[in-house]
This record gives sequence, C-alpha cells and structure tokens, in this order.
Amino acid sequence: MRRPLYLIQEAFTSLRVNRMSVTIGIVTTAFTISCFGVFVLLYDNLKNLAGTLQHDIEVVVYVQPEASVQVVERVRQRLDSEQAVRELVFVSKGDALKEFYQQFPDESTLLEGMEENPLPASFVVQIAPGFQEADSIEAFTERVKQFPGVQQVRYSQDWIDTLALLVSYFEFGAIIIGVTLAVATITIIANTVRLSFYARKEEIEILRLIGATGSFIATPYVIEGAILGLCGGGLALVLLKGMFEFFRLELNASGWFSGLESVLTFFPHETSVFLVLSGMLLGCGSSVLSVCGLMKIRNDTA
Amino acid sequence: MIQLFHVSKFFKRCTALHDVTVRIEKGESILLTGPSGAGKTTFLKLIFGAEIPDEGQILVQNRNIARLREADIPYLRRTMGFVLQNFKLLPQKTVFENVVLPLIIQGVSRAESKKKVSEALKSVGMGHKHASQTGVISAGEQQRVCIARAIVNHPIILLADEPTGNLDTELTSDIVELFKKIHARGTTVLLATHNQTVVEKMNGRVLHLHAGRLVSDKGPTA
Repeated sequence: MRRPLYLIQEAFTSLRVNRMSVTIGIVTTAFTISCFGVFVLLYDNLKNLAGTLQHDIEVVVYVQPEASVQVVERVRQRLDSEQAVRELVFVSKGDALKEFYQQFPDESTLLEGMEENPLPASFVVQIAPGFQEADSIEAFTERVKQFPGVQQVRYSQDWIDTLALLVSYFEFGAIIIGVTLAVATITIIANTVRLSFYARKEEIEILRLIGATGSFIATPYVIEGAILGLCGGGLALVLLKGMFEFFRLELNASGWFSGLESVLTFFPHETSVFLVLSGMLLGCGSSVLSVCGLMKIRNDTA
Repeated sequence: MIQLFHVSKFFKRCTALHDVTVRIEKGESILLTGPSGAGKTTFLKLIFGAEIPDEGQILVQNRNIARLREADIPYLRRTMGFVLQNFKLLPQKTVFENVVLPLIIQGVSRAESKKKVSEALKSVGMGHKHASQTGVISAGEQQRVCIARAIVNHPIILLADEPTGNLDTELTSDIVELFKKIHARGTTVLLATHNQTVVEKMNGRVLHLHAGRLVSDKGPTA
C-alpha cells in the first residue's frame, strides 16, 4: 500500500510544483478537446436533424386546376392504393389560400387584385417508412406524375439529400479533425509531462541509483498525465455545455429557425463521460510516450 | 563477490580503464585511489551497471554485468548502497523521507521501514534529525543521511565515490569511522578517494589506478 500511495503523492507533488505548465497544459488540452467536441456536437445535431426531416418527408401532389371532383377522387384512390403512402391529406384551393394568408400575412396584398384563387388543390403525402430513400421517392413521384389529373409533384428530397451529404462530410471531417486534435493533445500533454520530468531530473537519477525500476519512475508521470487529461476533458465539457446553452438561448432570442432549438441536443451522458475519459486516456498515452524514451537505466550519471 | 577480467572502458578517444583484472572477496574493504581522471568513478560505475565494459568481463555476485538486461539492473542495485561526494539527497524532503526511499522502492511495509530507517539513522548519529529538511542541514549531516540511505536495506556491497570530498578534516574522520563500522558488520566496502588520510584510517586493501591502469594492489597493513 505504501508504494502506490507514494507514487500518487509524487504525481500530485509534481502537479503542484509545476503549476504554471500544468495550468497551460490543462487549458490547451481543454481547448483542443473543445474544438473536437464542437465538431462532434455539430455533426450529432445535423445527423439528428437529417433523421427528423427524413422521417417527416412529404410529397405534395398538385391537381390540375380544371380537374373535376371525380378526377380528384380518382387521384385520391390511386394514391391511397400506393404502399409508399403513410398518410394522405387533401388541401383544397380554399385551404391553400387560407394557409398562404397564415404563413405569409405580409404578402397577402399579392393576391388582392386577382379574380380567381390561383392556388391549386393538392394532396400532401406522408411517405411510409421503408420508402423514404431517395430512389424509392423518385420512383413514387414518377408514377404519380403519370396519374390523370396530376399537374405537378414536388418534394423536399433535394435539400434533405444535401443535408445527408453534409452529414457524411462532417463524419469524415470529424475523423480527420479528431485525429489531428488527438495528436495535438498528445503533443501538448507529452511536452508538459516532459517538462516536469526534466525539472525532476536529479530526483530521477537518485531513484535510478537506489534501484527504482523504469515503471516505478514513470508511474507518477503517467498519473500526472492522466490527471491533466482528465481535468482538460472535464473543462472542455463545461466549456462545450456553456457554449451550447448560450447558442441555444441566442437562437431562441433571435427568432430565426423557430423550433430548431427544441431539436438541438447536447451530448448524452455516455458521450460526456467518453469525452472526459478520452482526455484521461490521451493524457496517459502522452505520458507513456513522453517518458518511455527517457527511461534509460545505463549511462546514468552518478 | 566482484571479479574484473581484463576490463577496458573507452570514452571516445579517452581510455577510462585499461585491461584491469582484479578479484574482490566478500567482506573486503577496498580503497580505490589515484589522481582525478584515473578511472575510479568508471570502476564503480561498471560495478553498479551504469556502464558496460568495452572489453573484458565483470562478474558481480556471479552475474555478468555486460549481459544483464536493463530491466534487471535495478534489482542488482538493490543489493548495493551508494554514497556520493555530492550526497544526491532530495532537498525538499525530510531526512526520514530520503532514507526510506530505497525501502519504498522495494515495497517494504510501513512498520518495517520505520524500524529500519530508525536503526540506520541511529547508526550514523542522525536519529534526532529525522524530521529535518535535508536542504537545511550541514554538509557533514547530509553525508551521514546519504550513508544511512545507503545502508538502510543492509546492502551486500557499499560503493562510495569521494564521500569525504566536500567535508573538512574532522568530519572526514567521523565519516571514515562510520565506514569502518559498516565494514565491521560484514559489508563489502569499495571507497574511491584521493584523500590519503582516509586511506590510512580505513586501513583496507588499496587498489591504485593511474591513467586507467591498475598500477598497484596492496593489502592492509598489519
């Protein structure tokens, strides 16, 4: 019990003695982990958003203005028989006009001079699960276009596809940035640990002389690196949470993208724990890398 | 105990030791003498595995130093004690904390460590200063603490490199007395010095080195 306690004590002594370099190490580690965290947070939320949009994907089938009630009814029946249709809502010309006034109250003057309601009647189709892939929707819309009485078919797949592409770019970017920032974190912690190693060179020489093994000498530095990484990861998590809440409040206050703030989510607990632990693991790894090369037993000066 | 067979050690163009052959028996008191640069420190470094001979073989407790893996060297060193001219103590730690270090490394229990440290400090006359910071005690006291640390785990061999180099005549005599006491307990003592008083007072076997060569090997005077 004596030996582990001594090694932990030594790690804390080193952290206390090298306060300045340790503080710099923690702050820079927190900064690099935060940068990675921002990217992951963005990726996570975009992925959530894309998933939500994909789930709520709608296809709008516009009926020809001159179509009779019977033709409209036939379109409804044919749409109903399609497997790809989860839900079907008919929007009459009158309903479309009402919706236009509700959605764009400032633009209501645009339609004032018109004798007849120019907005077409339409069917709003919710796509069933299993048919939400781009190819399935494409095939569905192509079939619907051929229905007698259908004027036009529109859906929002294009920008959903763009979003999905963006998410995949983010995924790739997250890996690249993650690796780059991990290397940066390792370098920062390794240098901090190396500095404290050099600061205690005399002590290490004494330890070698009296029979300390390489692992005995290295352990306090590995503990030091782990504590440094843990603190850096913890600080990064606090920074990320702060930035996230600030961004959500700002978004809410600005009124832009109303409703988006409810879709935004912070990391789940597991990811938060993972982020902090990854800081600790990076710290451990950096210390091992840092002190391994300095563990030569022979040719020591006595 | 310690055997050197035609050992040579070179540092770049300089010859630190040249063709040294010597056999040291258990319990002997050896005085390595010679001027600065004669090879005394290299001799000691070869014995505790800090250097590997370029030529020849060294056996320490029947273990070939050159063939010893780096990972095994700490275990070899745990059977030895070291006393150095510049003490090599940790100034921010107390006397007790310095002396207990070899025992912590070896995983000795707290109670046993306390007992052994207390004995070691008492034997060098530093029992009353166990709580003092080593950075504030005198040079003579620091050297005593260094000796206590070297003997705390009852080493088989005690190596000392110019242990009185930083001490005045009176303190030198005290330290020599301590070494004689340690030797009397059966410890093999190897002491490198160029101080003639130390050589005379220790009255051990004298190995005289000059320019890396062993030029004389004289037994103790009766």
